Amino acid sequence: MDEERPANAGQVEFAGIAIPWLDDVARFARHLTRDPTDADDLVQETYLRALRGWHTFSQGTDCRRWLFTICRNAFIQGLRSQKLVVCDTPELEALAAAAVHADAVEQGMGDLFSRVDLREAIDRGLGELPGGFREAVVLVDLEGVSYDEAAGVLGIPVGTVRSRLFRGRRLLQQGLLSHAQDAGLAPARVTASDRGAR
Amino acid sequence: MSDEMMMDQMLTCDDVMRQLWDYLDGELTPDRMAAVAAHLSVCTRCYPQYDFERAFLRAVRAAQQDHRASATLRTRVQDTLRAEGLAGI
Repeated sequence: MDEERPANAGQVEFAGIAIPWLDDVARFARHLTRDPTDADDLVQETYLRALRGWHTFSQGTDCRRWLFTICRNAFIQGLRSQKLVVCDTPELEALAAAAVHADAVEQGMGDLFSRVDLREAIDRGLGELPGGFREAVVLVDLEGVSYDEAAGVLGIPVGTVRSRLFRGRRLLQQGLLSHAQDAGLAPARVTASDRGAR
Repeated sequence: MSDEMMMDQMLTCDDVMRQLWDYLDGELTPDRMAAVAAHLSVCTRCYPQYDFERAFLRAVRAAQQDHRASATLRTRVQDTLRAEGLAGI
């Protein structure tokens, strides 16, 4: 019963439930800010807000998601302006992905993602995505949350999560294909004149 | 057989392409997941794109860098919370 809980029960719960997610929050903050110093400031602010608002946390629910939401809200409030691209055509985005695949095959890079270590290029590419798209990709693809959970963190409809996620993935793929071409990772293409010379 | 199951068994390539990301993310209903899987297992047009997108997602997940909170940040957060009155950390 609540009356029998020790006075510091909430603090003990906070230390035991919220603090263990520090690495996850730090990683999420790093993706949001793209700057180590800003990320640390954001993590500190997130935990301060979380402690002050701990009474609003519903025991038994997903604390990591709750902390992500606080982190994201603190991040947005720290921005002077937030430019989010409105995009509500996830089905068209899914079909556009087919065009990216066709381009990759055409360039001899249909197996690029399984053949080449692209970790650095992916990390860089994520940083270059517009904020709204990056948030969706980071939450779903890196943090492994569902569309529904991402919608809760971002405060947007699930359909918008899908749109931003699919567009973000496509932009990232296009950037990686360009990177691969520039880096000479595409196989040499055999032209008709090459074949005639043999 | 329910109407939904009948519809699921009649998926076209366009249907599958429209739902490919949802399928890869495990966001479809169980019936629809099974129907898309069945289509992919026999469709030589759709399978290569599925394979491409699956490899992409694996590569992105593998790129998740080990951004752990530094010891400095951990201490800083703990100090801040103690100053706010939190005990026991």
